[in-house]
Amino acid sequence: MLFLQLLLQGIQTGALYALTAAGFALIFGATRIFHFAHGTSFTLAGYAFLFCWNAGIPWWAGALAGIVAATLFGLAMERFVYRPIQRHEGSFFTVFVAAFGVAVVVQNLIGMFAGRGFAAVDTSLSRATEVLPDVFLAPIFWIAIAVAVVLFAALSAFLTRTHAGVALRALAQNPDLLRAYGLSSNRLSMLAFALGSAMAAPAAVLTAMTTGLNEAIGHHVMLISIAATIVGGVGSLRGAALAGLMLGVAESVALQFVDTQWAEAVSFLVLFAFIIFRPSGIFGVAQTR
Amino acid sequence: MIAYAANLATLVAIFCILAATLNFIIGFAGIFSVAHAVFFGLGAYAGAQVALLLVPDALLACIVAAIVAGGLSLCLALPALRVRGEYFVAASLGLQMMATTLFAEAKAFTGGIGGLVAIPRPTLFGIEVGVLPLALVALALILFLTARLQHGAFGRSLQSIRDAESAAEALGKNVAAAKTLAVAFACAGAGIGGALFALHLSFVNVESFTMDQSVLIMAMVIIGGTGTLWGPVIGAIILLALPSGLAFLPFIPATEVGAVQQIIYGLAMTLLMVFRPAGLVGDLSKGRATA
Amino acid sequence: MTEVLRTESLARAFGGLQAVAGVSLSLHAGQVTALVGPNGAGKTTTFNLITGNLRADSGAAQIRGRPIMGMKPWQVARLGVARSFQDLRLFTHMTVRENVLAATETASWFWQPGGTRARAQRQQRADAAMEATGLTALADARAVDLAYAERKFLSMARILAAEADIWLLDEPASGLDLASRLRFGQLLKDAQARGVAICLIEHNLDVVVELSNRIAFLDQGKVLAEGDPETILRDPALAAIYFGDRPQEAA
Repeated sequence: MLFLQLLLQGIQTGALYALTAAGFALIFGATRIFHFAHGTSFTLAGYAFLFCWNAGIPWWAGALAGIVAATLFGLAMERFVYRPIQRHEGSFFTVFVAAFGVAVVVQNLIGMFAGRGFAAVDTSLSRATEVLPDVFLAPIFWIAIAVAVVLFAALSAFLTRTHAGVALRALAQNPDLLRAYGLSSNRLSMLAFALGSAMAAPAAVLTAMTTGLNEAIGHHVMLISIAATIVGGVGSLRGAALAGLMLGVAESVALQFVDTQWAEAVSFLVLFAFIIFRPSGIFGVAQTR
Repeated sequence: MIAYAANLATLVAIFCILAATLNFIIGFAGIFSVAHAVFFGLGAYAGAQVALLLVPDALLACIVAAIVAGGLSLCLALPALRVRGEYFVAASLGLQMMATTLFAEAKAFTGGIGGLVAIPRPTLFGIEVGVLPLALVALALILFLTARLQHGAFGRSLQSIRDAESAAEALGKNVAAAKTLAVAFACAGAGIGGALFALHLSFVNVESFTMDQSVLIMAMVIIGGTGTLWGPVIGAIILLALPSGLAFLPFIPATEVGAVQQIIYGLAMTLLMVFRPAGLVGDLSKGRATA
Repeated sequence: MTEVLRTESLARAFGGLQAVAGVSLSLHAGQVTALVGPNGAGKTTTFNLITGNLRADSGAAQIRGRPIMGMKPWQVARLGVARSFQDLRLFTHMTVRENVLAATETASWFWQPGGTRARAQRQQRADAAMEATGLTALADARAVDLAYAERKFLSMARILAAEADIWLLDEPASGLDLASRLRFGQLLKDAQARGVAICLIEHNLDVVVELSNRIAFLDQGKVLAEGDPETILRDPALAAIYFGDRPQEAA
């Protein structure tokens, strides 16, 4: 039954990966910016939640604070880092270095002020009970799945039903066309950053309630998001979400064969293999640049 | 005090080697690797094993380290031949993460988390020598070589491939060979830096070869300015002098010096990219990949 | 005249579109062949098939009797083929001299063979190429800072310096003013006199008449007609295609 246990755990992790990866893919699709500080949104959201929890603020207010923190950070990055760089036609490398610099700064600030090492909140929701012989599940499993499903449904409704959502998708396909119709790509890009960053917050809150957070978790989250986006096929939101789920499951199921320390390496092995053998990803069109 | 200065000077020389070799592939070949610490680490472990198992001969350790790091640089060359831009950065990040795990787990070669300890003092042809002169000689040699390559035909080949790969190929340049060689050269250099590092500290573990280290080396290149000869050297000196400088500031607790150093260079990287993307010395527009 | 390059029924489709549908060409030393035809006729694709930038679905090509199908672009280049690109693809952040020198250095090893003598020769070749294209005064300017015509000449200088004897030029004269065009014509005539086999894609029929000995007329991936410029350009059916009227519509 170990396999089933691992599979279920993988689905839980994967659902959270899918959320952050979809946020990353949304931002990249609409703005063509590889948001290397996406993991920092996640970290900030998680720590905002932890802070509120420890201060005795109700959970829903803490979660809201997390969402606000992530969104504000994403917007600030767009406004004060990416936009000035794009104005002087910075190369992708300029973008990468600038974003990475911010990630390093925030990671260390959190380490200094919130303390280093793992921190988690302890709730009854994360206590596992035996649901089948030898299979343990915590209520948080169902919450994670439900949150992911609801958010993806909401996102897809937003992207297909609303004006702004359709414009965002159009931006991904043809920025020039959009400009010709007089839609402001600046405002759309801010919308993409706000939405994409907010997507990372629920995952951060849930992670704080399960495995816990440390100040360096942002790197991991960023890498998983990039890996999922590339494996899923750049430009495909659905692909990124699905690949995120798959990576989570792969990491977890791999534990049946290897030690825990190797779990993370599994994701990067998958990423590496995809870059070498199929850079366009599962759902992407061939575009290796 | 003299021991302190010698220690710092040795580390500066070693990190100058790392920054100069990374600058070679970033600035001239447009290969933006975030995995340089991997090859630094491979060289360090290889050099340490030579000293532990065979003889602590510095030259032998450096040669073995260069061969191991240069040979395994294929892991980095492979994605460089397939993809560019963000994809390659992602691949090198992935490589870095896998290597960190590998270093922590491959106990037979790396000693695991505990690392390799009690590496004997280095000798050269049987005579015990300090690491500082060795590191300075190695640095001079590597700077000389990179300068020669950068300004010679090979550097031109790399730059032409960086600027317009298809046109370079249409002029008869074997792009795959040139990129592979450039990566092998840079990684072999990082390997030599690693061997010297291991001999200098007489102890190495995975902590020195993580992504943070790769980012630090990259920051040295960026802050100094890519594509120049002296930029990385200046960047390395600034960033290594920083912790010592911070230690003199009374209001920073000793435990936070590392964090403050990272905050400063993280901030420097971001601000430079926003306001002065060329770095302190160089011209980053030269490092832009078009084509 | 010696045939140096020959293609037999080269074909390549992209998805459902048959871009090149059986092109047979032969290039001769000291002859200028113009590829003429409406947009999308498959001219650039034909170049890409010859140089190995694209893989042909079927057909064959050989250089001096040596089959080149399946070779990589750099291998084809080393057999003496130099090409220019419609979008030039200069080495933008290198100087003019570096651009031209890079064209003379084909070895991929850390250094070039032949020592200082060979290096001096390469320098000379580069100097000569810059002189012939009028770029000597701009030797230290970066390619990205050049004016349009200068860029086109830099692209030609690279080809000159490469010392290839088969040139494939993709719209080398488009957008040039009269003086530049004359200078370009002279470059081609000199090369022709040296025995270089030239194939150029060109839309300006005046340029074609002035410079070429032979015309291959391409339409929808096929060579419709081949011959001397006068005959081809006087053919009313071809003119109709070229200027956008299909024969069936004209009829």
